[in-house]
Amino acid sequence: MTGEDASGPTGAGQSWQPDPTRLPPYLLTGGRARPIDDNLEIEAQVMTTVAGRGELPRLHFEIRDIVALCAEPHAVAEVAVRLGMHLGVARVLVGDLVATGHLTVRRPELDPTMRAQIIERVIRGLDNLA
Amino acid sequence: MDWTTSPESPRPPPSARPPVPDRRPPIPVKIVIAGGFGVGKTTAVAAISEIPVLTTEAAMTEVAAEIDRTGHTPAKTVTTVALDFGRITIDSEIKLYIFGTPGQDRFGFMWRDLTEGALGALVIVDTRRLNDCYPAVDYFEKVGLPFVVAVNLFDGKLDHDLADVRWALAIGGSTPVITFDARARHSVRDALVAVLRRALIETTPGSAHSGR
Repeated sequence: MTGEDASGPTGAGQSWQPDPTRLPPYLLTGGRARPIDDNLEIEAQVMTTVAGRGELPRLHFEIRDIVALCAEPHAVAEVAVRLGMHLGVARVLVGDLVATGHLTVRRPELDPTMRAQIIERVIRGLDNLA
Repeated sequence: MDWTTSPESPRPPPSARPPVPDRRPPIPVKIVIAGGFGVGKTTAVAAISEIPVLTTEAAMTEVAAEIDRTGHTPAKTVTTVALDFGRITIDSEIKLYIFGTPGQDRFGFMWRDLTEGALGALVIVDTRRLNDCYPAVDYFEKVGLPFVVAVNLFDGKLDHDLADVRWALAIGGSTPVITFDARARHSVRDALVAVLRRALIETTPGSAHSGR
């Protein structure tokens, strides 16, 4: 059912080796494994707010990187790729920055009527692809 | 990278500035591409994406089905899986993301993450390894995500009748079964449009799956 187990008797959980040159990912998030809004979709668009941009000189490390990167809108998954973070880490940090007002977020539309209109626009857009 | 304050954008004193409204980010939409290992998911993403395929590392937690041989509690392991995705800018306000599911047929909690909010899914099928797509078909049926089954024509010919594929996968008559070529941009585009047309039917207010 689970397919072949290539990780051996110790299991994948024990085979992880610490890399002394890198921070363990979850140290970046203060030990939290879930973002404040743990339903933030990986395609959700985040963008730096005017207030967030004003805070930039006072921010450090990954937080600063995210706020700088998101001067242009990025998906949560794109933030992870661009800044070399695990997806889960990016999600936690982005969720925090949305909560603190540094970032604004646009999530997938859930209203059926709006969704239908959006789908029609996406179909037209794909039809127009070269 | 340059983290200093950009010199070419001098800011007027706050008192002289009218309040600047925050720009609104674009609307994100997502389609998931699923199927067995090596069936052409990343190929399809690459064929249609406007950017080179991006790969992000995601943790997938799974509770082992068997009792851990060293103890009596079920083993919980975290595996890192690679998630490939691409992007298509539809217009000034809509960005479409195409996410390929990880190759293995094990389903961790990441699947909910991956499909949450998705418009629909494309399940790619290799008729020589039909079994590989069962987990995806089962999952999408269970969560009510509209999907289309697309037989990837690796060598340009179809080994099985599409009706046979439909029968073997035991999928309902309302789910389209199509053929496509994962390497060809236009073919992938048409397959995604088929997913969206299916999604449109399901999304129309009053339909069985319009609520969440």
